[in-house]
Parts: sequence; C-alpha cells; structure tokens
Amino acid sequence: MRCTGVTKSYGAGDAKVMALRGIDLDVRHGELLMVVGPSGCGKTTLISVIAGILDRDAGECRVLGRDLKRLGTKERARFRGASIGFVFQLFNLLPALNLVENVTVPLLINGVPRKDAESRARRVLEEVNLGLRLDALPGKLSGGQQQRVAIARAMVHEPKLIVCDEPTSNLDHATGQTMMQLLRSIAKSPGRALIVVTHDPRIYDFADRIARMDDGKIVEVIEGGGKERLQ
Amino acid sequence: MLRLAMKMLVGDRAKYAGLLFGISFTSFLVTFALSYLCGFLTRGFAVVTENPAANVWVMDPAVESTELTTNIPDSALSRVRSVAGIAFAVPLAFATVDARFPNGRFQSFRLIGVDDATLFGLPPLQGGISATVLRTPDAGVVASGGTAGKLETPVSKAAQWPYGGPRLDVPARRLAAGDELLVNDHRVVIRGLAKSLPRYPPKPLMYTTLSNAARLLPPERHLLTFVLARAAPGVSARELATRIKAQTGLKARSSADFKADTVNWLLINSEDVGDMASMVSIAMLVGFGVTGVLLFMFTTDSLRQYAVLKAMGADSRLLLSMIFVQSGLCAVLGTGLGLGLCAVVGKIAMLEFDYPFRMMWFTPIFGGLMVMMVSVVAAVISARPVLKLEPGVVFAGR
Repeated sequence: MRCTGVTKSYGAGDAKVMALRGIDLDVRHGELLMVVGPSGCGKTTLISVIAGILDRDAGECRVLGRDLKRLGTKERARFRGASIGFVFQLFNLLPALNLVENVTVPLLINGVPRKDAESRARRVLEEVNLGLRLDALPGKLSGGQQQRVAIARAMVHEPKLIVCDEPTSNLDHATGQTMMQLLRSIAKSPGRALIVVTHDPRIYDFADRIARMDDGKIVEVIEGGGKERLQ
Repeated sequence: MLRLAMKMLVGDRAKYAGLLFGISFTSFLVTFALSYLCGFLTRGFAVVTENPAANVWVMDPAVESTELTTNIPDSALSRVRSVAGIAFAVPLAFATVDARFPNGRFQSFRLIGVDDATLFGLPPLQGGISATVLRTPDAGVVASGGTAGKLETPVSKAAQWPYGGPRLDVPARRLAAGDELLVNDHRVVIRGLAKSLPRYPPKPLMYTTLSNAARLLPPERHLLTFVLARAAPGVSARELATRIKAQTGLKARSSADFKADTVNWLLINSEDVGDMASMVSIAMLVGFGVTGVLLFMFTTDSLRQYAVLKAMGADSRLLLSMIFVQSGLCAVLGTGLGLGLCAVVGKIAMLEFDYPFRMMWFTPIFGGLMVMMVSVVAAVISARPVLKLEPGVVFAGR
C-alpha cells in the first residue's frame, strides 16, 4: 500500500476541515504498521481512504496495486470484500448471528457456498481458541472473546490487508496484550499487512513500524527501535 | 446472505415480535373490516338468499335493490307465468308496517306477504312448527331480522292490554307463539318465529299470507312487489329473465344479478355503507401506517449492521435483497397470522354474537396484497438510508 500526497477535507467554505494534509505513507508486505496520534488527527480518515471507504481529494493511493478511487462503487465494494479485513473497536458483530455465522459473512459476501464458508469459519474460530463456543451468540461472550471473533472474521477470507481500528481500547490491559499477540501470531503473515490505528501506547511493542500523525499529517515514522520514545 | 438476513430479523426477538404483531394486526384489521362490510352487504340481499328455489326475480323496472321497492300490478303474476320456460312463479309482497305490542310499545316491521297456496318465501320456523300455521286466521310469523331486543313483549299479563296507556319499563320476554300484536288496528296472532337470515338494514320481519297482508295494509292499488320465478330445466335464469323482460316489460333479474344489483345500490345509496367504508379505509390507513413505520424502524435500527456489511464489501444489490427478504418474510408471516386470526375471530363473532362477518375470497387476497404493498413501500423507503449509508460510521472516530 502506498499513499503519496493524500489530502481529504470535510465540509465546504468556512466550515471546511482539512482531515488529511498530504499524507505520504507506505505499508509493506507482512508488516504490522501502527498509526498513532491524538484524537481528531485524521487516523480514522486515513484508514477509511486506504480501505476505499472514503475518496481522497488529491494525491495518489494504491492498495495492492489498485487505485481505489478509479474503481466504480460496485468494483470497490468487491475489492474491499476480497482483499481487506476489518477489526473494529466496538467489534461490530451481528448480534443475531452465532459465531460461525458471523465469521462466514465475508466469505458469503464473496460468493463462497454456505457449507464451505461454515467449515472455514469453524477452522478459523478454532485458531483463535473459540472452538468450543461456535454456536454462541456474541452477546454471551466477553469483550476479549468478541474481539477474537472479530479477528477471525477479518482473516477468514484471507485478505492481503487487515485494517484494525482501536482494537484494544475496549479491552483491559491483559486482554489487549493477548489480542495483539493473536493479531501478530495469526493474522500477520508474509503475504498480509496489518494497519492498526490506536491511542494505546501499551501495545506499541507489537508494531513493526509506527506512523505518528498530528493535524492531518504523518509527523514521523518510527522503525522498531524508536518505539520506547513514543511510549 | 439472505438466510443470514432472515436470521438477523428473527434473532432480534423483541423487534421481530413487535413487527409480526404489527403486521398481523394490520392484516387482521384490514381483512376483518372488509369482511364486516361484506357481511353487511350480504345481509342486504338476504331475502334473495333465503329463497334459493327462485332463480329469477321480477319487479318494477325502476327497482334496483331489495331495499327500495315499489309494487307492480297483480296481473304481473299471470303475465310472468305465461312466459315460456317458467317452471313456477309465485307472488311476494313487501311493505312496512308499525305494530303495536301489548304494552303499547310500537315497532316498525318489514311485512312480507307470501303466496297463500304455496307459502313460498316463508323460511322454516323455529321449534319445528309447520309453515301451515300461517294459514290460520290472523296469523303472522316474526323474525328479528338482525335486530336485538325488538321483539320483546311484557312478561306480566297485567302489563298487557287493554293497556290504557303505554307501559314501557316493564319486564319483558321474547315474542312467542300465541302472542298478539296490532297492525293498523288489525289483530295479528304470532304463530311462531322464523329462522330468517339477518337483514341489512336490520329490521324485524313479519311474514304473513298475501291475503292477510291485504287485510293488514291500508288499501292500495297494487300489493305485489316481486314475482319469484324458476326457470324450467334447460333454460338458464338469465335467459328466462331476458324473455320475461321482453314479453312483460317488467324488470327481471337472475338471483345472482339481483344480489349484485343490491350490493351496488347499497354501496352507492346507503349512508351506513358509506360510513362503514370510511371506517374500513381508516382502519386500513392506520394499519398501513403501523406496518410501514415498524418496518422502516426495523431497518433504520439496523443501520449500523448494514454499515458493517457495506464496509466488508456488501454491495447495494445485496443489501437491498436483504432488506426485501426481511420485509417479505415479515409481510408473509404477518399476513398469514392476521388472516388466521381474522378467520377464527370472525367465526366466533358470527356464531356467538350474530356478527355480520363474511370472509369472501377476495378479502384475504386484498388484505394480503395491501400488506405486501405497504411492506414493499416501507422496504423501498427504508432502503434509501441504507443505500446512502456511509460505511465509515463503523469506525470508532466517526
């Protein structure tokens, strides 16, 4: 994923707010990149542009070799469905569906037959240690368990990029650490990159690189060794 | 995904139950109100239904219903009988009379004069009493005609005539064989109660012979209202009606056509039917409003879930399919439950309370179609926010 000079604004005239002011960022294969910064600095806007949910105003941004802005709505949705996985702060599991059904959703959206989708979902849920709760509803699970389901859902269709939005901020410290270990050990792979947006300095250790944002810009990108300074 | 859409709907039990209840109620309300209207209209042509052996009704050319009639010359009976293709033809007279009860109370009755010889037009009597009692002097047979409490006569002999003034607040019982009434100062001896169909507009009925009717009614040039005829084998009722009309100049209608004429006349001319139709319309509007709002709320309450699906790559077509599957499932189940409930409640109301309820073939179809239409409209309206939905709302910072 490579973005250069990406800008994005909301509103118009006097109410116009520049959310991104020329972002240059790349994410490499197999790395876990954290995007950090204060609230309102543009982190969410940045991942929305990267994931093809928002259109940038200017600049270039290629994800897995595709410029999402040039794709039509339908193609972009298809690309997102096939190539990107999402982990949300509030888990956003579908409350009426059990764990297997929740995890099958990305596969079904991609047209995988239900039986195949369910067997793949079961396998991934076992990987995240939820093999004994396959038929449970999300409401019956703890926050940590729900986030594990969300991780399973994000990786079940083997996307090349997983976007995580504040994955630990609704979890206690220990569970947050476990979750990040899980993300690193299972979700991260040589062919798959992870972008994690967070405020939580306690998980910076899990990053390969950290992009620090402020006021709509990347102010620095810190390689592994400099993380202590941010903490 | 459509299966999951159904699970999403069913899984949210409280909302699903509310939605089903709302749609069932709408379907029930619409179908019940329509069946109620049909029931009333059916009672409008009860006299035709009561005489299935006559399949052609002959009347004055200006008559359009069983409700508003005028008489025809007595010679009409002979003229009708002379038409080829008649199996039989009998006279029937309609009039309105005020009858005085033994305590001085008076009540308006529809007097039905039947053929003296055949007693054709007189329904079976309650208690297995023979119809021939009508041939006894001054005899009359009464029926409630869809009314309640209008055939009450005093229990105590002391409260009966000679009354010397009305005694209206005395204990009363239903008229029975042997009771007497006064019609135009002529004595009528009640010989029994008829198993008549309820009428619309509801009015007590008094059956008597034509000769007795002529005695009871003020002198009139014409007494005959209808000639009831039956087509001979091999001749259809419509064909016979056409022949009678051509040969006698009178209006002749097959039973089915006369029923339809009566319904049309009531729909156009009866203020009560107009009021009932307004009530039906209001019931429909309320029901449709409830259905539409509930369906809309269900979809908009699930907007976040749709946003998640959209972020994960679900396109508009898939989301629309999900919304329509959910609406369709609710509409089908709700309509079914509502129709079932309507049939059960209607049957009970009809049997226990003599309620005018007739669930005709088109009432459930109409009710179901209307609910379906509202569900589709609600789905279309609620699809708009889903299609316009910005999937980015699923992110924490948005």
